[in-house]
Amino acid sequence: MRVRDLFLFRRYHLLIFIALLLLFALVLMSLRAKQRKGVEFFDSLLIEICSPFQKGSTFAIKTVRGTFQRYVFLVNLEEENRILKQKVALLEEENHRIIEMKLANERMRQLLKFREKNFASMIGAEVIGHDPSSWFKSATIDKGERDGVKKGMAVISPAGVIGQILKTAPHYATVLLLTDYNSAIDSIVQRTRAKAIVGGKGENRCEMKYLLRAEEAAVGDVVVTSGLGGNFPKGLMVGEIKKVDRRGHGVFQYAELVPSVDFTQLEEVFVIMEPLPPAPPQEEKGKKGKKTKR
Amino acid sequence: MKRVFLPFLVGILFLILQTTLLSSFPIQRIRPDILLIFTLYLAFSSSSIFGGMLAFFMGYLMDLFSGNVMGFYTFSRPLVFFAAQFFKERFYLEGFYSRFLFAFTYSMLEGFLIFILMNAFHSTPLRNLYPLLLTFLLPQSFFTALVTPPLFFLFQQGSLFLFRQPEKGITEKV
Repeated sequence: MRVRDLFLFRRYHLLIFIALLLLFALVLMSLRAKQRKGVEFFDSLLIEICSPFQKGSTFAIKTVRGTFQRYVFLVNLEEENRILKQKVALLEEENHRIIEMKLANERMRQLLKFREKNFASMIGAEVIGHDPSSWFKSATIDKGERDGVKKGMAVISPAGVIGQILKTAPHYATVLLLTDYNSAIDSIVQRTRAKAIVGGKGENRCEMKYLLRAEEAAVGDVVVTSGLGGNFPKGLMVGEIKKVDRRGHGVFQYAELVPSVDFTQLEEVFVIMEPLPPAPPQEEKGKKGKKTKR
Repeated sequence: MKRVFLPFLVGILFLILQTTLLSSFPIQRIRPDILLIFTLYLAFSSSSIFGGMLAFFMGYLMDLFSGNVMGFYTFSRPLVFFAAQFFKERFYLEGFYSRFLFAFTYSMLEGFLIFILMNAFHSTPLRNLYPLLLTFLLPQSFFTALVTPPLFFLFQQGSLFLFRQPEKGITEKV
């Protein structure tokens, strides 16, 4: 009997291996859904190993891009006079550096002003990578648990809301962007105070969920955070309504908005460290989504 | 040892390229999935056990650096690998067009699988993602397929260069 079993194992060992591997992947999915500690530890370990390379690569790309912008396009213009060319190139380079410094300075001053004006306990972080898959929208930042970053913390920029911390490693963290379909941020229309949940639409668009048909919302209206979710302070810019559709049936109307932040140009962000004081207890009204906000 | 670690390192390198260099393209739809191409190449060049584990690891890495909380790629990448390995001898895959079609088919199939999984695991139907099948999946699969033949060629040349053993008279691709 044992010999026969062994024979069967040898015959089907590849199929068994494939089945085990896929089963393991499904078990992992289940563990992730339950947010088990073991998986999180392994995740953060791998993020910690890979992210320094990601950071290095981002730095190299920025440097190469900068070099191209500074030199390569100027080479053909400076053939006539070599000395002059060198001087021009040097001056150009210096000029570019000064402009770059000036721009960085202005950006930093703006960030500092924003920080001083709004929240005392924020930490600045640099975006070092983006989502490898186009189905999901996330970014990796160079601040992690050691800097006090925790899951669920709000990530913002002077332009508005960026997203929430999704995964953390000791020195790095992954941010779930506002445009991801899993994202959900409690918001209000600034003009009419109509409440809704802003969720991602996959590409550089968001939609307003649970916006009551009775509420008023029009194209061009600004949407800001409501402060009710607990993670985001009240009044942060989320985006601008671009489309409102009331044609369908049901209690809710459909609205599409463009985020105020250009997610293709993300470089520096802020993580809000101090969670807001808990909202006063309120009576729970009917709507209790299955989805938990991360 | 080299045969085990190098593919792992190449996988990590491609992940980094995909999250940094390729993400800096202004148009996201034309960003090819080079990790998928590498997985498909592994289906041709490595054994089922080792390649399957590598595909699993790369899927795991993809999930780690993405906003995907469930881990869909950990499931889909080994599946793509085994499917590609199963069909590799049933098709002639030496020319540009056949490789293009091969990669295009698998990229589309994986996209559909991810889409089905996303819908299955989400509490509410993701109707707003349906247009993405046309506006994003199709162009992305096209560009992934377009890059596949030259990358396959580079992989072949790379493995020939790295794994050849002239002293043993072994110079064929691995």
